[in-house]
Amino acid sequence: MYELMTLKQAADALANKTVTSVELTQSYLDRIRAKDGDIHAYLEVFEAHALEQAKASDARRAAGSALSEIDGIPLAIKDNMLIEGEHVTGGSKILDGYVAPYDATVTQKLKDAGAIFLGRVNMDEFAMGGSTERSAYGITRNPVDLERVPGGSSGGSAAAVAGDLCIAALGSDTGGSIRQPAAFTGIVGLKPSYGTVSRYGLMAMASSLDQIGPMTKTVEDAALLYQIIRGEDYHDQTTVNTPPFHFEKRTDLKGIRVGIPKQAWGEGMTDGVRQECGKALETLKELGAEMVEIDLPYMDEALAVYYVLMPCEVSANISRFDGIRYGQRAQGLPLIETYGQSRLQGLGEEVRRRVMLGTYALSRGYYDAYYRKARKVQTLIRRAYNKAFEGVDVIVTPTTPSPAFKIGEKINDPLAMYLEDVYTVGVNVAGIPAVSVPCGKTNGLPVGLQFIGGMFKDDQLLSIASAFESAP
Amino acid sequence: MALNRNDITRLAELSRLALTEEEMARMEQTIDPILNYVGRLSEVNTDDVPETEDTDEIRALRGDEAIPSTQTTHDGIIANFPDKKDGLLRAPAVFDNPKS
Repeated sequence: MYELMTLKQAADALANKTVTSVELTQSYLDRIRAKDGDIHAYLEVFEAHALEQAKASDARRAAGSALSEIDGIPLAIKDNMLIEGEHVTGGSKILDGYVAPYDATVTQKLKDAGAIFLGRVNMDEFAMGGSTERSAYGITRNPVDLERVPGGSSGGSAAAVAGDLCIAALGSDTGGSIRQPAAFTGIVGLKPSYGTVSRYGLMAMASSLDQIGPMTKTVEDAALLYQIIRGEDYHDQTTVNTPPFHFEKRTDLKGIRVGIPKQAWGEGMTDGVRQECGKALETLKELGAEMVEIDLPYMDEALAVYYVLMPCEVSANISRFDGIRYGQRAQGLPLIETYGQSRLQGLGEEVRRRVMLGTYALSRGYYDAYYRKARKVQTLIRRAYNKAFEGVDVIVTPTTPSPAFKIGEKINDPLAMYLEDVYTVGVNVAGIPAVSVPCGKTNGLPVGLQFIGGMFKDDQLLSIASAFESAP
Repeated sequence: MALNRNDITRLAELSRLALTEEEMARMEQTIDPILNYVGRLSEVNTDDVPETEDTDEIRALRGDEAIPSTQTTHDGIIANFPDKKDGLLRAPAVFDNPKS
C-alpha cells in the first residue's frame, strides 16, 4: 500500500520508477473500497477507466515520454466539473443521469498532463452550502471525526484528500468552498486569483466570484497542481494572461510584512481557534516576518455584499435548470407547469432559497437597494484591500471562526451557516487569492490559517505559506 | 422589509418554483432573517462610490464566431435531452391549444 503520499512524493516516485501509476492507482482504489463506505466522499469511482489510464501512463513513462510531472497521479474531481462521457450532477437531483458532453478546460488540462481521475466527489448542491449536507446524494463525513461535517461545498474533495482516498483534488470556491473544508479537514486549499483558472465546463454558481482551485496535502502540491490548471482560455472571457508563476519553497520569512487585520482578530472566533491561530502568528514572527497590525474595514459588510450578489447571480445561473434541455423533466404538463414542477422536484431547499432571495433582490423596486448598493460597497471593499496591500505582502486571518461542527447542527438555521463564511467571502468579493493552511488542532479538530495575497500574486502567496508549513 | 405570504407566493412564481404551502412557510421563515442581515448595507455611505465593474470592456467583448463542436459533443448534448424526436428537442406546448 502506498499511503499518505504528497503529490510531490508520488511524482518523484513515479519519475524514479520506484512505483508505477497502476500500483499507485490500485492502492487508492483499494483504500476507497475499504474506507469510503464510512466517509462517502465519492459519488462514483471510475475504477476500470482509472486503471486503463494508469496503464497508458506507465507505458508513456517506460517510453520516456511522460506528459508532465503529474503524469500517472490519481486525483479526485468535484462533481461540478465536466469530464467527457462521465456522469456529473453538481450534487443535484435535477441532473441525475446527465452525462458530460465535453471536457471542462481544467479536466482537459489535467488529461493533457496525464493525470488519472479516480472518480467524482460529493458537494453541496450546485456548490451552495458549507457542510456537504446539502447534496442530493447523501452527506459526506469528516475523516478526522465521522460525527462531524467536512465543510463545504467542496466537502467531498476535502474528505477524499484528508482521508487519503486520492493524492489531491480539485474544488471550487465562490465564498470559501475550498478554504473552509480544507480548514475543517486539516488540508491545504487554494482559491486562486479571479481570472487565472478557466471555469469553462464548471457548473456556474455566481460567475463573478467562482474560481476552481487545488485541494492538497501540502502547499507545494497546491502550487504544482495550480500551475497545470491555470491559464488564459478562449472559452472563459474572464481569464487573463498573467505573468509567469514562480513558486519558491521558502524556509524563512525575512523581509516579509504580514498584515494582521484588527477586525478579523476581535470577537467572533472560538477560544480554540484563537489559541491555535495565535500560536501560528508567533511562528510567522520566529520565521522572520515583520508583523503589522492593519485596518481592514467592511468585514461584516463583505458578508452582506456576498449574500446579495451571490443569490442574484445564482437566480440567473440556476434558471437554465428548467427541465427542458437537460436533466429531469416533470412529464405531461403544460410548459409553465413543467418548469415549476421540474424545479420543485429537482432542486433542493437551499438552492430554492437562494434563487428566491436573488429574484427578490433583482426585482423592480429593490434592485437599487440591494444589487446596486452591494456593487458599490464591493468597490469600497476592493479599495480597502488595495490600501492594505500597499503596506504588507500578505494578510493573515483564521480561515473559519470555529472548527468542524457536528452533522445536523446548523442545517436548520441558514443564517448561522452563512455566518461561518465571515473570514473567507471578502477574498471572493475582492477577487484576490487566498490559501488555507493547517495550523494545529483544538480538541482533536483541525484549525486553518488563511493567507491572503495581492491580486495575481498567487506565487508569492504560496511561497510565503510554504515557509509557515515548513516551520517545526 | 418583512416579506409577507403574498410576496413569497409572487417570488415563487417568478422563480418558477411550484412550492407547497408548507414550503412557502419555510421560505418565509428563513428568508427574512437573511434580508435583515444584508440590510446593514443601507448604513454604509456610498455617496460618489461607483459600482464595481466586472471586467474591462475589451475582455467583455469578442467576435461573434461560431466554434464547431465535435460530433461526440453534439451527440452527447442530444442524448441528454429529456424528450426528443429525430435528433431534435421536444418541448411541451406553450399554449394549451396550439394553432394547427
